[in-house]
Amino acid sequence: MTSAPTAPAPTTTALQMTGVRKVYTMGDGSDVVALDHATLTLASDEMVALVGPSGSGKTTLCSIAGGILSATEGTIVVGGEDISGHNAKELTKFRQEKVGFVFQSVNLVPFLTARENLLVVDELGKRTGAPAKARADQLLEELGLADRAKNLPSQLSGGQRQRVAIGRALMNDPALVLFDEPTSALDTKLGEQVMELIRTEMKARGTAAIVVTHDDRITRYCDRSVHVIDGRLDA
Amino acid sequence: MKLALTELRRRPGRFSAAAVILTLIAILLMFLGGLLDGLIASSTGAIRAQDADAIVYSDTAQASFVRSRIEPQTRAAVEAVPGVTEVGGIGNVQLGARIPGKGPRDLAGVALFGYEIAPTGVPDAPPAGQAWADDVLEADGVEVGMIIEVGPARTPIEIAGFVNDTTFNGQASLWASPDTWREVLSANRPDAQLGPDVWQALVVRGDGADLPALIDAATGGATTSFTVDDAINETPGIQEQTSTFNQIIGVTIAIALVVIGLFFALLTVERTSLYGVLKALGAKSSTIFAGLVAQAVVLTAIASLIAGTLVVLLQLLLPPGSIPLLITPGRIILSTVLLLVAAVLGCSFSLRRVLRVDPASAIGTTS
Amino acid sequence: MFLAFKEMARAKVRFALLIAAIALLVFLILFQQSLQNGLITGFIGAIREQSAPVLVYSVDGQRVLQGSVITPAMEEQIRAAPGTGEVGLIGQGTFTGLPSGNADGESFDTTIIGYELGPDGSGIGSPTNVIEGRLPVADDEAVVSDADVRLGYDIGDTVTLLPGGKTIEIVGIAANAQLNVAPTLFASYDTYLDAVASVNPDAGTPLPNVLGVIPADGFTPAQAVASINDQSLDLDALTRDDAAAETPGVAQVQQSFNIIFLLYGLVVPCVTGLFFLIVTFQKANSLTLLRAIGAPAGRLVSSLLIQVVVIVGAGLALGTLLYYPLSQGALGGIALDFETGAVIFWSVLLLTLGLVSSLVAARRVLAIDPIEATTGQGVGS
Repeated sequence: MTSAPTAPAPTTTALQMTGVRKVYTMGDGSDVVALDHATLTLASDEMVALVGPSGSGKTTLCSIAGGILSATEGTIVVGGEDISGHNAKELTKFRQEKVGFVFQSVNLVPFLTARENLLVVDELGKRTGAPAKARADQLLEELGLADRAKNLPSQLSGGQRQRVAIGRALMNDPALVLFDEPTSALDTKLGEQVMELIRTEMKARGTAAIVVTHDDRITRYCDRSVHVIDGRLDA
Repeated sequence: MKLALTELRRRPGRFSAAAVILTLIAILLMFLGGLLDGLIASSTGAIRAQDADAIVYSDTAQASFVRSRIEPQTRAAVEAVPGVTEVGGIGNVQLGARIPGKGPRDLAGVALFGYEIAPTGVPDAPPAGQAWADDVLEADGVEVGMIIEVGPARTPIEIAGFVNDTTFNGQASLWASPDTWREVLSANRPDAQLGPDVWQALVVRGDGADLPALIDAATGGATTSFTVDDAINETPGIQEQTSTFNQIIGVTIAIALVVIGLFFALLTVERTSLYGVLKALGAKSSTIFAGLVAQAVVLTAIASLIAGTLVVLLQLLLPPGSIPLLITPGRIILSTVLLLVAAVLGCSFSLRRVLRVDPASAIGTTS
Repeated sequence: MFLAFKEMARAKVRFALLIAAIALLVFLILFQQSLQNGLITGFIGAIREQSAPVLVYSVDGQRVLQGSVITPAMEEQIRAAPGTGEVGLIGQGTFTGLPSGNADGESFDTTIIGYELGPDGSGIGSPTNVIEGRLPVADDEAVVSDADVRLGYDIGDTVTLLPGGKTIEIVGIAANAQLNVAPTLFASYDTYLDAVASVNPDAGTPLPNVLGVIPADGFTPAQAVASINDQSLDLDALTRDDAAAETPGVAQVQQSFNIIFLLYGLVVPCVTGLFFLIVTFQKANSLTLLRAIGAPAGRLVSSLLIQVVVIVGAGLALGTLLYYPLSQGALGGIALDFETGAVIFWSVLLLTLGLVSSLVAARRVLAIDPIEATTGQGVGS
């Protein structure tokens, strides 16, 4: 398991996955087990690196934790909400409110400005209006993007786009943020800067994070690493 | 939906080609409709203007003035029908008119009516030798007080004044006293002249449901009577024109539906990854689809607006008498509504794909 | 070629929708082409298919047979013109006719064109294209237009005129010989006079509506026309073709349809061009990849053009297929025909326009730089 001494479990856990299995049935009838009896617990402000080669199942695990994919078996509790049996509609609402995503290919909406990209989540969900706008401005400030608020993604550098994506992930004050290969498109120096930023932001807010990566260099930014090979978790 | 409209505003280029196509289709719809409306209006103005509860033709006339004749005894029978309050004779003759200032071989087509009961908008019959003229003749340079010569016998008719929307069979109408009409008829169409109390048709006012049927029964089937609306429909050619045009318009709407469906299907394919991201962030399929429909509706509305403006312009620029085009607000609105319905239905081709977008596709290595 | 078809097979809905759009457009265009031709032929076919090379109307007739009246004085002037060879009287009237061949006992507006019978039925103004039966050789016989047969006007049927009850027997059928989109009978001039008298006893003897003229030796029809018109401003002589073309309404119909064809014709290349442009943008990555691994640019462009030909061709075929059954029937009183010439014309035109419109997409394909396969950018942005 972990190398550092385990602190006593805090009163709130960000993520509790127990015995989670994901099985795909192929066209020819055979079964592929993408994830096998995965058990993982995250404290409410813990940062975990999920490390493994391509096809290892780390993306599957991340997707299930984020409520983007349903598990075949097992229990998933995120921020106190049991999403194991949620239907698609309930998962959609869950994602709006409790989870933040930073995708590998960033995936900002290309025709929206940086500020508007942050406001997308509010647009799609509760539509609080002014409070959301204030929060967006504040996040942009913290992320050093205040002067880039009106720029389109095409007008931003790779690192700046990454920061906008992080801002978007934090807009709804999630219990858990999922980072999918956040540094794969960046050079070493920029990658380290981004990881620094991620760690600072997560810790400052006390938000849990899962960082999916195959890059061992960045695992030191996380509290611990969990290795995934062939669908099985390993310390 | 705000997202979808923002995209429309920020990226007009990718939508502009589709907008051009939609505008072309909208122009087609409005032009076809305007053509139909124009044909009907110019054919039937004189009948529409009749302030009557029934128009009576003879039974073999097939709702055509020129082939109808009502003898005095038939008229008496009609007058005796219970519920009938007023009966007036009506007849017309179609001739070429020579107008001062126009070339010797350049005649204007006119339909000269003799009438007893004045149609709506037409005053009582003027004195002998005079007539009220439909204002389409103004385009030929006709003025009040001018004397025009009608028919091969060059019967002089003085213009007493103008009336509006009373054209008949595509020709300008002249409204004169019964005596003037008979004089013109016998001088110019001796083969069609009628005896002194014989009329081509009768205009009847009365009470009672189904007056036309009562009249026909009373005359023992010697007449075929219609309400004004039915008379318009029975005017030779009207029904065929209407159904033909409506069929063509219908197929054109289907084309609009397919084109919009095609365009938005393509657009949806292109935006699959964006939709994946939005769904991952918590967007519902219904929100995404509503945005699509909103874009289609806005595009169609803009196309209809441009098309409407262009066809109104076209009507203004057309020389009178070239194409019978009549653009009414009603027609523009109808065409727009039909197109909007087609737009919404066309989007349904993309619905399945929008539903099928998997939020999980947003995560993972880009393949 | 392989790529072109593979792609279409994998994106069936998209390509099917495009073919559907083109097919519907083609169908509408061809249908309206038939409608236009049927309408015009129905209007003035009789004028085109009669034997007089020159027709003389009175100016008051405004180039409508029924409105024209030739007085004896005018007849003298016409005969006196140097360009006039032989002259024949022609009368025309519209009557309510009851064809015996109609099972439902319906009556119809029926046009009777009376001409002076010559030996064995031919004469100035006789129908020129008799496809069945024979010309009338006596009074109360008539040749009918082929479009009217289905209404009950067949060889052997009798037409009863109402009121009055006069009967005329049909002895022959002529092709495309309608007037005013109504059943049309060609009969002897005396038959026509008799018909007028039978429905309107008050009428005197009608004067002829027009005179048919055979030009004198050494005169072309156009010269004969000029020579006759010089005689008097009351005369309106026209060659047969001009008489047909300048009948009121014909020009209007043609102008209206021209605008309609223009608009529909524009829609097709716009839709095709837009479709292929968008699809090319969407395939950007795969196209770049193919270029990077060595596919010649020309090959990719020809693959695109093959798709255009296949799609537009399929749309044309489907549209023509939809059009065929409709073209065999009639619409209201208008007889429709399968217009082979129109099918060929529009096929060539739309295929060409489709290819031209896809050149925009082709240009994009040619502009691809294979190096972009490595940087991850494609044709799109």
